[in-house]
Amino acid sequence: MSRGGIAPAAPGFGDGAAQAPAAVGTAASAHAGVAPLEAVNVGKQFGGLSALDQVSLSLRAGEVHGLIGPNGSGKTTLLNLLSGYYQPSAGEIRHGSAQLANATVQQRARFGIARTFQKPRLLPTLSALDNAVLGAWSHSRAGFLATALALPAVAREYRALRERAVELLHGVGLGHAIGRRANLLDHAEQRFLEIARGLAMSPRFILLDEPAGGLTGNEIAHLADVIRTLRDSGIGVLLVEHHTDFVFRICDRVTTLNVGRMIKHGTPDEVRADPEVIRVYLGA
Amino acid sequence: MHPNKKVALALGALLAVSLPWWAGDQYQLHLAALICVYWVLIGGLNLVVGYTGQLSIGHVGLLAIGAYTFAILAGKLGWHPGAAVVAAGALCGLCGLALGLPSLRLPGFYFAMATMAFALIVNELALAQGGLTGGGIGLPGPGFPPPFDTPAGFYALAAVLALVVTLLSWNIARRMWGLGLMSIRDNPVTAQAVGVPLFRAKLVVFVFSGVCAGVAGALFASLQSYITPDTFVFELSLFFFVCIIIGGRGSIVGPFIGTVVLTALPELVAPLAKLGHFFYGLLLLLVVLVVPEGIGRMFELLGERLRPRVVPTAAITPDLPRLARALEHRP
Repeated sequence: MSRGGIAPAAPGFGDGAAQAPAAVGTAASAHAGVAPLEAVNVGKQFGGLSALDQVSLSLRAGEVHGLIGPNGSGKTTLLNLLSGYYQPSAGEIRHGSAQLANATVQQRARFGIARTFQKPRLLPTLSALDNAVLGAWSHSRAGFLATALALPAVAREYRALRERAVELLHGVGLGHAIGRRANLLDHAEQRFLEIARGLAMSPRFILLDEPAGGLTGNEIAHLADVIRTLRDSGIGVLLVEHHTDFVFRICDRVTTLNVGRMIKHGTPDEVRADPEVIRVYLGA
Repeated sequence: MHPNKKVALALGALLAVSLPWWAGDQYQLHLAALICVYWVLIGGLNLVVGYTGQLSIGHVGLLAIGAYTFAILAGKLGWHPGAAVVAAGALCGLCGLALGLPSLRLPGFYFAMATMAFALIVNELALAQGGLTGGGIGLPGPGFPPPFDTPAGFYALAAVLALVVTLLSWNIARRMWGLGLMSIRDNPVTAQAVGVPLFRAKLVVFVFSGVCAGVAGALFASLQSYITPDTFVFELSLFFFVCIIIGGRGSIVGPFIGTVVLTALPELVAPLAKLGHFFYGLLLLLVVLVVPEGIGRMFELLGERLRPRVVPTAAITPDLPRLARALEHRP
């Protein structure tokens, strides 16, 4: 089980944050005691093609970190490396002392790394609630046999996870669609449902792959509110996005990629003013 | 549960319990028992095919192993039939494990081929190992001790076991495991993302279906009273598979109706008996073309048509304090 040498998930890091000394102030500093999720000098090659080369990124707990760059610059590749769909050709992925580079997607999910997909990946015939509850899979301790026999503890546990999923759905604004089949939801609702499913995992970090794609201005404002709430609760949010206005508005830090290499990272103001970023991505 | 469903379930239970009193003749009772025996297998297989989306067409092999185990242990070796049923279930669970371990990593079509090969091999082995299985001549399937030695008694036994399988699979389907299995079927990438261990979950369900097939095989041997390799033709495997497809994926009632209809109709309606294969080929074609989601879904759609629900088109308005509270409350 401990392939990749992952330490067992630490007890809810909210406790750790509460004990962190003199941690009053900004949200980011309140979670300063929690190790960041780091990619260190990672590279990824597909055949002879180098999709990522020597890229480093540090996603802290309680921050919103933007990842921008032109199409094909390697944003989604990096996200796949962080969430475990790809294994890096070089470099390491780590969280504190835990090495994650060879951990499976499932191990990382248990570890507290959630993600959403560019094109929402839901279970089409199931309700929004069922889709959200699925996110809590790793929190369910019920074994197959215990479930088949409907032991009382199984029912109790499942009810609790379901209730929490209901709260999360109301929280992200899908209270009206709880019982609706996922394939009958509109595009924006599907995107928010993916976030709710990710949150049901109680993640330390959530990686959002273009969550604002195809959303109206109003919906993007709601998305920003939701993301800020996640940050304030101590979750590290990685935001892969093309809406640069949106990114610069809500991110604490931004990393810019171009053809597989990092060209700039810093605060939104620093990145926005960087001549290289302007040249390859933002335009004059 | 919806009141209509409750009424339907109660009616169904009443019909099933009272069947021995209103069944026209012994043959109809035999048929009802056969449906129950098939359902013990199909109910388990349904979790593999209908919920997890793994296209196993080899379960007749497991049925045969269960049947021969029962016939050998309870017949030749004189075990108590009850113990022989348990042994048949356990052995087929192990066979499910042995078959699943190498094959469940294969993508859909190749997995189906592997299970088909398994069924063919089992049949050939049954024919070749004459010392154990009686070869082409076959083996008698011993009966159960009283009170299960009459047609009505055997029907009651089979019906109870069918009910047990139904309850077990229903419990799995409606909780986290069911969601996890359906995520493997609908979107393995999502299943991984939330932490569902794809291979292990598939294997567990496959072993469960193996146990069910073993128990069904034992009952089947007893019901048929004589088994030969010809009893376990590959068409029977397709029949199990088709029952589930016609019933609809991700449903328990649908495949059950499929089993009842496909078993009983060709037998009860005389002209159809001659056209057995033609009949369910046609039914399969109709279902796939007209209601690809199966009979179960057809009822749902009918219900929605009769009582159209007004879908409120509310905009997304996050409730941020509620979200923050939910996030703080970690399970």
